[in-house]
Amino acid sequence: MKTARKKRKFEWGYLLLLPGLGYILFFLAGATGMMIAQSFGLFNYTAESRFSLEYWRGILNETFVDDLLYSLKIAVCASLLCICIAYPLALIIKKLPGERTILSLVKIPMFIPALVASLLILNIIDYHGILNIILVRLQIIEEPLRLRNDSWGVAALLIQAWKNIPFMLIIMYSAVEAVRRDVIDAARNLGAGRLAVFTQIIVPLTLPSALVSVILVFIRVFNDYVISKTAGPLYPNTISNLMHVTAYLYNDWPSAACIGCLMVITAVSFVSAYTYLSKKLMQNL
Amino acid sequence: MAEGLSLKNITKRFGNFTALNHVSFDIKPGEFVTLLGPSGCGKTTLLRIIAGFLEPDEGEVWFGDQKMNDVPPHKRNTAMCFQSYALFPHKTVYENIRFGLRMRKVPASQHRALVEEAMAMVNLTGLENRKPYELSGGQQQRVALARSVVVRPNILLFDEPLSNLDAKLREKVRVEIRDLQRKLGITAIYVTHDQSEALAISDTIISMNQGAIIQKSDPRTIYDRPVSKFIADFIGTANLVPCTVTRQQGSLFQVQSPYGMLLAEDKDFPHDSGEYYLCIRPEDVRPVLDGEPAGEDNILEGVVKNSIYMGNTLDLFARVQTEPLRASVWKDYHIEEGTRIRFAVPRSKIRILEG
Ligand SMILES: Nc1ncnc2c1ncn2[C@@H]1O[C@H](COP(=O)(O)OP(=O)(O)OP(=O)(O)O)[C@@H](O)[C@H]1O
Ligand SMILES: [Mg+2]
Repeated sequence: MKTARKKRKFEWGYLLLLPGLGYILFFLAGATGMMIAQSFGLFNYTAESRFSLEYWRGILNETFVDDLLYSLKIAVCASLLCICIAYPLALIIKKLPGERTILSLVKIPMFIPALVASLLILNIIDYHGILNIILVRLQIIEEPLRLRNDSWGVAALLIQAWKNIPFMLIIMYSAVEAVRRDVIDAARNLGAGRLAVFTQIIVPLTLPSALVSVILVFIRVFNDYVISKTAGPLYPNTISNLMHVTAYLYNDWPSAACIGCLMVITAVSFVSAYTYLSKKLMQNL
Repeated sequence: MAEGLSLKNITKRFGNFTALNHVSFDIKPGEFVTLLGPSGCGKTTLLRIIAGFLEPDEGEVWFGDQKMNDVPPHKRNTAMCFQSYALFPHKTVYENIRFGLRMRKVPASQHRALVEEAMAMVNLTGLENRKPYELSGGQQQRVALARSVVVRPNILLFDEPLSNLDAKLREKVRVEIRDLQRKLGITAIYVTHDQSEALAISDTIISMNQGAIIQKSDPRTIYDRPVSKFIADFIGTANLVPCTVTRQQGSLFQVQSPYGMLLAEDKDFPHDSGEYYLCIRPEDVRPVLDGEPAGEDNILEGVVKNSIYMGNTLDLFARVQTEPLRASVWKDYHIEEGTRIRFAVPRSKIRILEG
């Protein structure tokens, strides 16, 4: 009797999850289902709906591969650049007086929309932007540098870093702050100098946060549309851009759906592989 | 090697709160010293200054003949057992304890034996591979203890290392700490709230209150001849009542108190007359049965209000005139509540103290 009642209570508990989780699951399952169906030619808005494999056959073309590689490249570079800056920054800020003020200043980019950020920074690095004007006036260079829409994606990378460093910094700062003072004291007391405290205590205790923040930024940049659209190279561009163009410019919704599927698959496999490797790394520490 | 320690005029302020106020003392090499005092009196702060985590605002810390003020913590060769344990959350029990050996470059071949010895000392054998969050509070405390003793430093600093252990284990570990400290000749500073622990373990007890040292002496002296009412009250139990004192001759005083007119023999009391407190330890009070001679002892007559059999003693809560008197007497007495009774207190067992 008692266990039966207990069990029922347990099930009621799950119902509490429904409003939030149900909403997420409904759209996740619905949207993913639709996307998969569309990629096989079903639910086609712009042409006759019928099952077909032709869209999948046509999708793995040169543009797609270039765009995929470009997206991965920018995402990997941006997340590494961010962690290389945010991690030391978090450690330094922790040591400085007035850390709260510094921290709230550094957070500002988080509140500026990506599009605005992108345009603001473009104003600086544009062909006729402030940076080029200054460099030319100082006669450091003769011709203005072409930083915007450059073929490698430097401008996009810089803007991504500017936008994502604060995000990472918040994660890393709370990780650094969570390392208890007396644990560090204990290490010093047992004979650990600065370097040993850093490698033996601070790094192992903050590494999990660093690993998580890297993958979060990776996904944010990998999925980016706005920044690459405004500041990125004209070709290749991100997969999101390709998907958008395919759907709205070429009116090819099924192909766009294929691209969407591949995007999700790439992201999920990347995250899984990364999570697996991080776990291994943490175990070996 | 053991090293003596001297603090000279240490003052530490947090904002405008003075946590330590001109604290000075010397500790001999190999001495076991206990800091005893109520919560918040500055014991942990003092240990942190000795270990080098805190800089004193004034004063000097000396280890042997070396001034340590500017020496960083990792070069001081102290080992501290933290009140908050401060275990490394990402390391196993074994690695926690081994950490100090690695940092101090003890040859790796000796690690296992040393760690296992330390673990056995605190009854932790078998828990090597647990992480700190998989341990109970008392087990974590024992890891902290093992981690500090395993490195065999010059100076060991214990901040209430046994507070979370049960009575039996506490006694066992206490004896082992003492044996190890004697065997290796390490100087130890030990913080505790527990006055019986302090009496049992120490060569010297330093009694503190509000950031200042009140008395520094061996356990017997601090218990039998406390210098102030505060210490008499804090260490052990005491009957403390206000009194008016007049010196009769030599060390003999006439004491006018709520217990009546008493005679006290107190060699340490410096004043000739005035308003002070008298202190009688419960175990110095003896019942005088009808017909028994009392000799020179003071006689206090009262009524037993409560009689509590403690096993090893019989505790009596009596009323003498209007004042309560506590007596701790031989366990085989049968004294009922409500009994009118005479108590004897030897002159030499009455102590006169400043407030
Ligand atoms: N970092 C700090 N900032 C401000 N005040 C502090 C700080 N550290 C300690 N204090 C104060 O200094 C006093 C002494 O603290 P301390 O920790 O040395 O006490 P303690 O004797 O160890 O007490 P307990 O027996 O409770 O551990 C306390 O009143 C405490 O509030
Ligand atoms: Mg303390």
